[in-house]
Parts: sequence; structure tokens; C-alpha cells
Amino acid sequence: MLALMQNETLKLLRRRRFAIVLSILTAILLLVAYSQYRILHDAARRNWRADLQERVARAENMLRRGRMNPSWQRSVRAEIGRLQFYLDHDIDPEKPNVPRFVRTFANVAGFLLLPLLVSVLGSDIVSAENAEGTDKLLLTRPVRRWKILAAKLLTLWMFATLTLVCGAIVSLIVSSAVLPMHGWNEPTFNGFQLAKTAVRLDTVRQLPLWRDALIAYGLEWYALIAVASIALMLSVLFKSSAASIGTMLAALIGGTILTRISPDWTAGKYLFVSALPLADYYTGEPPPYDGMSMAFCLVLLAVWAAGAIIVAFTLFTRRDVFG
Amino acid sequence: MKSTTGLSTITPTLIAEHLTKVIGSRTIVDDVSFEIFAGEVFGFLGPNGAGKTTTIRMLVGLIKPTEGRVVICGHDVRHDFEAAMRCIGCIVETPDLYRFMTGRENLAHFARMLGAGPGKSDVEIERVASLVNLAHRLDQRVGTYSLGMRQRLGIAQALLGRPRLLILDEPANGLDPAGIREIRELLRTLARDQAMSVFVSSHLLAEIELTCDRVAIIHKGRILREGTVRELISSRRAMEFRVNDVARAAEIIGNNATIDGGRLLVPIEESAAPPLVAALTNAGIDVFRVGPNRQTLEEMFLEATGGETVD
Repeated sequence: MLALMQNETLKLLRRRRFAIVLSILTAILLLVAYSQYRILHDAARRNWRADLQERVARAENMLRRGRMNPSWQRSVRAEIGRLQFYLDHDIDPEKPNVPRFVRTFANVAGFLLLPLLVSVLGSDIVSAENAEGTDKLLLTRPVRRWKILAAKLLTLWMFATLTLVCGAIVSLIVSSAVLPMHGWNEPTFNGFQLAKTAVRLDTVRQLPLWRDALIAYGLEWYALIAVASIALMLSVLFKSSAASIGTMLAALIGGTILTRISPDWTAGKYLFVSALPLADYYTGEPPPYDGMSMAFCLVLLAVWAAGAIIVAFTLFTRRDVFG
Repeated sequence: MKSTTGLSTITPTLIAEHLTKVIGSRTIVDDVSFEIFAGEVFGFLGPNGAGKTTTIRMLVGLIKPTEGRVVICGHDVRHDFEAAMRCIGCIVETPDLYRFMTGRENLAHFARMLGAGPGKSDVEIERVASLVNLAHRLDQRVGTYSLGMRQRLGIAQALLGRPRLLILDEPANGLDPAGIREIRELLRTLARDQAMSVFVSSHLLAEIELTCDRVAIIHKGRILREGTVRELISSRRAMEFRVNDVARAAEIIGNNATIDGGRLLVPIEESAAPPLVAALTNAGIDVFRVGPNRQTLEEMFLEATGGETVD
């Protein structure tokens, strides 16, 4: 199995997929780091309390004016609760520094960027062999088909993990060039929960930033493993790489848009994209649909991943390989 | 030429039994059976869409037969896939390898699938590369190779691990005449010296005639004829007469003579020719030339498939 994974790793690297993913990550992080640097630069002249208060007031105005869809409304209400909490405890939640930058990356990128990158890595891991005609050779060697697919899946999981780790490392390096390094032990607050009208504060937990970051990255890793498994299935389903990558991207982007614009269609909570921003939900962003607890999201992703893996293996081991 | 037909006491390297593939309502391959023995080069001929490739895909386990089975070195491909595949090396349709990797990386990739350790596989890679004369280009990307070089690399890959059966689909494709001869000699040498069985499909009939010991002709999913190249050709032996008046000569010789262009073909042995020559001369017909007409495999093929050309 190690030899097979070595083969898959070699092919993935030689196809330059991972290099592309790393360059995209670096480019985006450079831009973000620069903008953070500007914020830090301006912060000297700015009163963060006044800033936060202004944002709370603006959000409250928006709520009063109404005419927002329920999902958006809940999001705004959660935001108000969170900001108010920081104001009450006299903590600047957005002071730019390296640890916070790295931590925030998990939330921001986890919602769409990282799943997209993992899809780029994974969606053609089988279909490319098909398109290039190499499957005929790969599948006539003395290795059972399930082992070949298992090697591909494990390699994909490995690279999904590596993408996340590299994201963290690149964000660390990039931000340390322009932002202060200290702050790993700053307190963070999580577990904001939305009650009927306001944010519940009794469920809020305080954690040092580094632990909070580890939890966020752990959740994000879990989500990426699910994304990788689904990408593998699509890669088995489609013969052409373009079709499988396209479908995966459409599912991610379309699904994300769908959950934002039609929160009334409650069946949407069973889509895997609804559960993907685990790190966001952990921080306190309310999920788009009612009844999506953290446990629900974790189970939902596990079910999707397991289903995808079953479909992929069943098809791959049984089907006839034509030209 | 070494013929191994008739060695029925020896277990064949490959047994294809009643292979049938039905897709929807179409029968693509219909009850195809044949055997290949050690040290034998077996040719597989058929026009486009005859079911050649589908048959090959069933032999190597890419397609499940609707009926029938394939046994390689005593291992059923369906139930003992790994053991059966360990006995073969193959090229199916086109020699597609990973274009974004070098020749050496490709060979190492497939050597790893055979479970070879790094040290052993390096030696093995050098061995197969030199067999097909590719050692000097091994460290370049396959994307830069010509079709002929990819064909060689495909054959090198198939030779990894010294398989007992080589299955090659159109191995002459993309090779120049010198390359074709080289590969032909390589295949014959492997069959002779290492008792390797070789299965070759080709549309180059002359090539099959030179390379193979035995040939099967497949058309519309069925095997039409099977036998040694010599048998298939000589079963239709005739004497060829060149005369000044073909029509009259045919009348004189009788109803077993056939006119083929300007030639008169008579299905008789050489020894029966002189009396006919005498009869023709007596009738005032000028006889320019009399000689054996060895039907080529191509003619035999065209006849067997009802005039469809091969490809």
C-alpha cells in the first residue's frame, strides 16, 4: 500500500496540482496580510471601541428596518451579540497580530477556499487516468482495484491535510513579516449561541488563542477529509477531468449560494456544503438552517463522506473499462 | 519457425473459453475460444469493430465477460486476479503512459506495482529499457517521445517482472520499418529463448505472417479461422497459369479453374501441371508461365471476412 501511495503522490506532484494549490494559497494570503498590515497601520489613530460601537449601532439599525431574510437576520443578530460581548469585556477582537491571522485563516478559508483547493487536487485523481488512457495499464497490474482506489483515497486525504497545514504555515510566515508575533495566549471566546432574540452568553467559553486555533483547524481538517472523499467519488463517476472538477466546484459554490439565498428550503440542511464551515459555526456564526448543531454537522459530513466512499469503491471495482 | 501446436499435454499459458460479451442487445464478442502455449507467438486479426479490443480487454480483466472465462497460467482472471496478472505484461490499444513523467519514472511506477524493491527494480528497469533500445531516452519526459518511442516504452513496461505471457495490441503502430523488424525479432527471441507466450493483434497482415506461429481471424465477434500461418495459407494452394487467352484456357481445363485478372488459377499440385500445359499447347494456346500461387494471408483474410478490409 505504501508503494501504491508513493505512486499516487508522485503523480499528484508531477501533475503540478499541489504546486498550483500552494501558489494560490500564498498569493491570497499575501494580499490579506497586506490589508491587515494597513489596518494595523491605521489602528494607531483609531479607537477600536468606537469602531465596534458604531458597527453594533449600524447592525441594530439594519435589524430595525427589517426586510432581511431570516438567515441573514440571525447572522446579524449573532454578530451584534458577539461584538457587544467584546465591548463589555473590553477586548479588541480584531487587533491584527500573527496568531489571530493564522486563526482567522481557518474560518475564512475553510468556508470556500480550502474546499475548492482540495477539489482541485482530488477531482481528477481517477478521471485523469481515464482521460489519459493510463487506467488500462494501472488496472491490469497484479493489484486489486480496491487497493488502487484505497491508495488514491489515502493519498488524497494526506494532501488535504497537507493543504491545511501548508495554509497555516504560509499564513504564519506571510503575516509574521508584517504583523506582531505575540498573542498566542490571548483569550478568545467561543460558543456563542443564538437564542430566540439575543445571543446566549452563558454558553460562552474562554480559551487561549492557540487552543482555540487548534480546535478550529481540527474541525476544518474534518471538513476537508469529507470534501476529499466526495471529490474522489466524482472523479470515479466522470470520465473527463473537466467534468469532475467542474461538478465539484459547482456543488461547492452553488451549494453555498443556495444555503444563503433560500433558507426556507429546510431540506438544504442535508447538503454537505451547509455543514462545511464547521470552524465558523464553532466560532458563533449561526448555521443557515435551524437544528444544525455541531454534532449534526459532524454526523452529516461523516455520512456524506461514507456514502461517497461506498459509491466510489462499488463503481470502481465493478465496472467495465472501455476505451 | 518453431511450431508448438499439438503439444496438448502441456498446459496452455492462456486459455480463453467461450468468451462472450453482450452489451444491451448487441453481442460484441460471441463465443470466442483459443489457447496460447509457451514459446508461441499468436496473432489476432480482425477488421475494425470485429471485437478484437473487447476480447483483449476481457483477457486482461478490464471487462467482465458476459459468459466464459479466461485462465492465465492456471489462474482464473476473475477469481484469482492478482496471480493471473502477475503472469502477464500488456499493452491495450494504445501505449498510454504518464506523459508528465519521465520514462524511468513510468517504469519505476509500474515496477512498484509488482512489488519490486528499489534496488532490484533499478536493475530491472535498465534491463527492459535496453531490450527495446530506449535506455538513452529514459530520463526524458514521455510527453517528448514519438509514438514509436512510446510504443517501445509500453513494451518495456510490459516486460517488467519477466511475465510468461505478453499481450500486445498493435505493437507495430508508429514504428518505422526498421523498428518493426527490431520488435519482431525481439518477440521471436523472447518466445524462443524464454519460452514466453506472445499474443499480438495487428492490422499489418504481412507482419503477422512474419511474426506469428498461429493466427486466429475474428470477424463480427466470432473466430472465423484458426491455425498455423502455414496451414491457413497452404490450405488454399493453387497453380497459376499465364496464357494469351485466359477464357479459352479455362474452358479447356474445366470447371475447377478460376480466372483472377489475367491469371488462371487451378487448384492442383505442381505435379499435375505438365499434362495441362500439354493440353493447352495442343489447343494452340501460348503458355508463358506456370508456377505455384501461394495465397497470401491477406487474400485468405479478405476471403474469410467477405471482402472487408482489415484495420
